[in-house]
Amino acid sequence: MITKRKPLPYIFFILAWVLSVSSVFAQTAPLGDPRTMKFDPVTITVPEVERVVLENGLIVYLLPDRELPLVTVSAMIRTGSIYEPADKVGLAGLTGTVMRTGGTARLAGDQVDDELEFLAANISMGIGGESGSASLDILKKDFPRGLAIFADMLRAPAFEPAKVEQAKRQALEAIRRRPDSPGGITAREFRKLLFGADHPLGRESTADTVSRITRDDLTAFHRQFFAPNSLILGVTGDFEKPAMLDALRKAFGDWPPQPVALPALPPVTASSGPAATRSVNVLRRDISQTHLRIGHLSVKEDDPDYFALALLEDILGGNSFTSRLFRDVRSRQGLAYAVGSRIVPGNAGPGVFMMQALTKGPSTHQALASMLDHMERLRQEPVSPEELQLAKDAFLNSFVFSFADSGLIVGRLMGLEYHGLPKDFLQRFRDSVVRLTREDLLRVARQHLHPDRVIILAVGKDTDFEKPLSTFGRITVLTLKPGG
Amino acid sequence: MARRLFIVLIGLALLTGPAAAADRSANAPGLEERVVEHRLANGLTLLLMERHQAPIVAVNLTYKVGGVHEHNGITGVAHLYEHMAFKGSRTIGVTDAAREKPVLDELDRLAEAITAEKARGPAADRTRLAALRTQFAETEAAAAGFVVPAELATLYQRHGGVGLNATTGKDLTRYFLSFPSNRLPLWAAVESDRMANGVLREFYKEKNVVLEERRQRTDNSPNGRLHEAFSSAAFQAHPYGLPVIGWPSDLDGLSKARTEAFFQTYYGPANAVLAIVGDINQKDVIALVEQTFGRIPARPPSPPVLTTEPSSAGERRVEVEYAAEPQILIGFHKPGTGHPDDEIFDVIDSLLSEGRTSRLHKRLVQDKQLATGISAFSNYPGAQYPNLFVLGATPRAPHTAAEVEQAVYEELDRLKKEPVTPRELEKILNQIDAAQVRALRSNSGMASRLGYFQAISGDWRETFTRRDRIAKVSPEDIRRVAAHYFTKSNRVVATLVKPTSPTAPEAKP
Repeated sequence: MITKRKPLPYIFFILAWVLSVSSVFAQTAPLGDPRTMKFDPVTITVPEVERVVLENGLIVYLLPDRELPLVTVSAMIRTGSIYEPADKVGLAGLTGTVMRTGGTARLAGDQVDDELEFLAANISMGIGGESGSASLDILKKDFPRGLAIFADMLRAPAFEPAKVEQAKRQALEAIRRRPDSPGGITAREFRKLLFGADHPLGRESTADTVSRITRDDLTAFHRQFFAPNSLILGVTGDFEKPAMLDALRKAFGDWPPQPVALPALPPVTASSGPAATRSVNVLRRDISQTHLRIGHLSVKEDDPDYFALALLEDILGGNSFTSRLFRDVRSRQGLAYAVGSRIVPGNAGPGVFMMQALTKGPSTHQALASMLDHMERLRQEPVSPEELQLAKDAFLNSFVFSFADSGLIVGRLMGLEYHGLPKDFLQRFRDSVVRLTREDLLRVARQHLHPDRVIILAVGKDTDFEKPLSTFGRITVLTLKPGG
Repeated sequence: MARRLFIVLIGLALLTGPAAAADRSANAPGLEERVVEHRLANGLTLLLMERHQAPIVAVNLTYKVGGVHEHNGITGVAHLYEHMAFKGSRTIGVTDAAREKPVLDELDRLAEAITAEKARGPAADRTRLAALRTQFAETEAAAAGFVVPAELATLYQRHGGVGLNATTGKDLTRYFLSFPSNRLPLWAAVESDRMANGVLREFYKEKNVVLEERRQRTDNSPNGRLHEAFSSAAFQAHPYGLPVIGWPSDLDGLSKARTEAFFQTYYGPANAVLAIVGDINQKDVIALVEQTFGRIPARPPSPPVLTTEPSSAGERRVEVEYAAEPQILIGFHKPGTGHPDDEIFDVIDSLLSEGRTSRLHKRLVQDKQLATGISAFSNYPGAQYPNLFVLGATPRAPHTAAEVEQAVYEELDRLKKEPVTPRELEKILNQIDAAQVRALRSNSGMASRLGYFQAISGDWRETFTRRDRIAKVSPEDIRRVAAHYFTKSNRVVATLVKPTSPTAPEAKP
């Protein structure tokens, strides 16, 4: 028989949000037409997350969740590849990799792996564009040991020379293999067009920049950015708060703070200048399917229009199956398996709006024209009331999944603090969505979507295209640089 | 939307060790006791697990049908049907099903006439073909007039459904999503309707979508090309050798009647396993499922897969020419689910490829640095029937696939000669136990596990009992299995090579 679980011992229920606007009438009648079913609104109680700042500036979020005998510590670190020198692109990524593999002041890299894998524990480390991240996931019984290794890795990585060399060789092989993936080529070339090939957000590593990186560069990069006052930790799982705080103080408390300078990001001028016009770029590859990407720079996450733009983007191509691009380009016209749109709001740098599709060479022009038409239509006429209602209902009724587990709840708070956003950001998002009107979406479409200024990139065999793409603007033919 | 076609292929590396009997392991007490099994009169198996952390629920509906039930001529039908299952039913996705039907029938008649005319090859009547195609386009436009686009997905999304998707593999086709838990009645109504009353609308359009999927996953992917050729070389008789996505010509010629017949044969309730994990009350859900799925009539059992792969007389090697960096796949024929050697391969899989301390990773990636990555799949390309144990590697220049291959064989030979250490075996068990605990972190992960084992082995308890069998695997078992299966004549090898440089163009006379 089932042992009924006790509810989670969440002691501090501070908020109970009512999450549905449309379905207000509860009904337990027999099953009928699913189109007319009504349900109670979904209510959730969000547990209080404790935030503690240690004496050395290290920020800790704590949310115990006793369901399973596991503890997870995740970290965000104020660093990123945007801070690496232009002649050593790839340095940040390599630093993250070798922090994980290259041992610590107390243990060789191979010993770390041996011990962690025997305990079935996972530690990850990585440095991306605008942040570094790390995590420890371990059975509760092994937590003290895991935390000690994790802290050593963050504080005193050894960067064993052999592991540095190995990571460099792996990075070089990955560069060699870049031309094998049209999707990867498309993503990198599009970033170059958006941000500029020399901008920290657009540039890419090459065999040259990687070869130039030395072990000293890695240790210096680590020293420059890894300090307790640059770190945000989030702890979830099976623990008592006081004991956890003691353990964290023991592991990190004597780590002295240091000033960390984060240089400002240079402005993006490649595609955002006042004279920007639509650009059509073709990169020739001998493949039977064209990778299309269309987009331009967009708003930052703290822009008051971001919420409206996000909902508009759900309607355009964000929601699978029901979005305009999916229904038209995929289901009605049968032109693509993968088609959609995205808006990535900016933080350090600008945001990006983009649409993408993969279609056979002979339907490239048709797919591109359809996507641009859909973008233009959002500026010409308001979305239908039904579309707006569906997008709102989908957002609001699935809002509960933002609180599906403690890791999500804590991870979000960490991210908001990291990016300087208010901690009730998601609540504001929700409240804004409830109020949005068709006119609001029309206004943001007109203000923030610019079909006349998009960057179009087509990677494929242009001799197969049914019509030249010059009907969309003057074509620039791109060439793939070695290792590009 | 990422509809992952080869989920079984990818998923099994992770699923090799989902064991750790809850009552035997201190880590997850009572896990096994929390699962409730209920069998409907029509044969549908229902598995439930209550988990009240958040007011949400994950549903996973797994059908025991996949590429293994196809043959040349209808390859791709299982996967195409999976796409069609999102198009609705007699009531959903359509304005007027009664008026739609004759139009769809006419469309099918025209499609079959076109297929028949094309099949005449060079003798085909081009004028007639052109006329048929015009008629077809007009009729297809008329049919589109009845479509309520994406109504099924709209219903789910409006009520907060997330992660709506499906996958088709060799053995199984799986449909899943997550929901706010109080909306389960809506899901039951929609899902039972599409199980009983699916209508294949937008059928011919969707074939084009699948062809685009094929271009994306296979035709323009060095990895996809290699895997397709590898499976074909390994299985000459058994349908595991056929591509799940389908041969392009089969997809082109596949009739709606064949697709409909496939659905009628394999989508009966007795072929379905429904796993529901989350904030539910088991009694209510059983009642709900009885009220909806319970009304679907039982269907005759689907026919068994009869073909078995004859033993290969000698090694098979295949080269795939593609303008990309080299890759290699090495496979050894092995038994399928239920054979006592099956778990031993799971242990060997972990031993060789799981983590940085695994043997092949240490030797090829760390020490000799011949490769940048190495992976093993212990149930390739499917799990149910006799299949392959596969090792795949990415050589690191200037090292070649041949060097990597040689190093792999040396490591396999070591398994035949030296007994593995107790610590290596203990590490594997620790990892299996921990994976079992972690599986419970997500409702959808748990639902997927329960449904997978019920469908593949006929008993969801395999999730737990497999761990105990793995615990009994001895160094001698591993030595015996390695010596028996890892032989040259039992081997299939596929390599990706660059096309030989084209011969210099002949001088014009």
